[in-house]
Amino acid sequence: MINQLFGNYLVKTGALSRDQLERAFETQKKVRVKLGLIAVTEKLMTLEQSEEVNKLQAVMDKRFGDIAIEKGYLTDDQVGRLLGLQGNQYLTFAQAVTDNGFMTLKEFENAFSDYQKALAFTLTDMESLKSGDSDRIVPLFLPNDVDELQKEHVLIAVRTLLRLIDSDAYIGRASWVSSIPAKGVAFQCLAGEKNQDTKVALGLIGEEDGLLRVAGTFAKEEFEKVDLDSLDAVAEFINCINGMFATKVSSKVFLDMLPPIYREENVTVSGGRMLKLPIFVDGNELQLLSTYDGMINI
Amino acid sequence: MSRILIVDDSRTSRKILRSILEDAGHDVVGEAMDGQDGVNKYKEMRPDLVTLDITMPVMDGLEALKCIREVNAEAKVIMVTAAGQQNKMIDAIKLGASEFVTKPFEPDEIVKMVNKLANN
Repeated sequence: MINQLFGNYLVKTGALSRDQLERAFETQKKVRVKLGLIAVTEKLMTLEQSEEVNKLQAVMDKRFGDIAIEKGYLTDDQVGRLLGLQGNQYLTFAQAVTDNGFMTLKEFENAFSDYQKALAFTLTDMESLKSGDSDRIVPLFLPNDVDELQKEHVLIAVRTLLRLIDSDAYIGRASWVSSIPAKGVAFQCLAGEKNQDTKVALGLIGEEDGLLRVAGTFAKEEFEKVDLDSLDAVAEFINCINGMFATKVSSKVFLDMLPPIYREENVTVSGGRMLKLPIFVDGNELQLLSTYDGMINI
Repeated sequence: MSRILIVDDSRTSRKILRSILEDAGHDVVGEAMDGQDGVNKYKEMRPDLVTLDITMPVMDGLEALKCIREVNAEAKVIMVTAAGQQNKMIDAIKLGASEFVTKPFEPDEIVKMVNKLANN
């Protein structure tokens, strides 16, 4: 997700063109990150030290890590940790952008610092972003006052979307809304069986192509338009997410899953205090709607 | 080959299930969109086996299971549900459900289950 988030930021700020970003993504699929690049981005070596080791590598039959240890730039343990980061999405993206000559590593790192400022993120937040782990990234985009149970619900939703629908999906900053207009909606409410106070709901609205991608990929079927058939598939996808959520929280609360609801016409979706999380699927914006202690209504 | 009735309010689920069962050589003799429709079609078609979604409008799967077992105490019924509905699964066992599958569907698991019930 970090490659999509930061990549789109680079396009927005003019550091990369859309075409360069797409080419970087293509390159990224084939990239194996060089240890020197990881060492520099992890701040364990300076760029100069990395270049020195690279030059030595050209004349010595030794691996980068071995030379860096000999020179005293890295320890055994550090090399081990860096090797473990070679598949990291941030690093493979950095390598793809620099290998293509679109930016130097220095420019890339500076842009990442600017990105941190633009998002008002801490260094710890940025480490979470660079980890590529959606469970660490998603909370950064949620408001601080989200309940833990609701956070878990949203995490499961994003994780499931990445796993079943689009591994390249990415998110935007979430916000609270009380209602939102939509053309087409699918949602499902869950309620505590005995204690009706526990009520949660999850819904999905958004651009037609995004909804069709969710429906088509989940149902393994081609849909031409957002209608009751495609929204039924979106609702079943939500039903699966909710099932996983209900399982996860079952030790704390039993949640009865009510039949999913979907409408193809223009509606106003309301839910008291409703969390709205933008999710971009194939570049199409969807809104994941989540309520806690309240149902979604239309 | 078994004659199977699919009862599920979701068109998507019915379509996926039908495809899995037909690919495995079974005959899907009918589909129903809610529990009441399912009970009516069961009486009319007398299938070898029923797949019955739990969460449905009009009449839910548990109520439909009860009605079907009243029609035929030996009816073979596979309950279908999303994960996380353990309490309802326990209720369904008490009412005589034969097996359970959870969504999203795992084709191999469903085919094995259906074949096992068909051979009993």
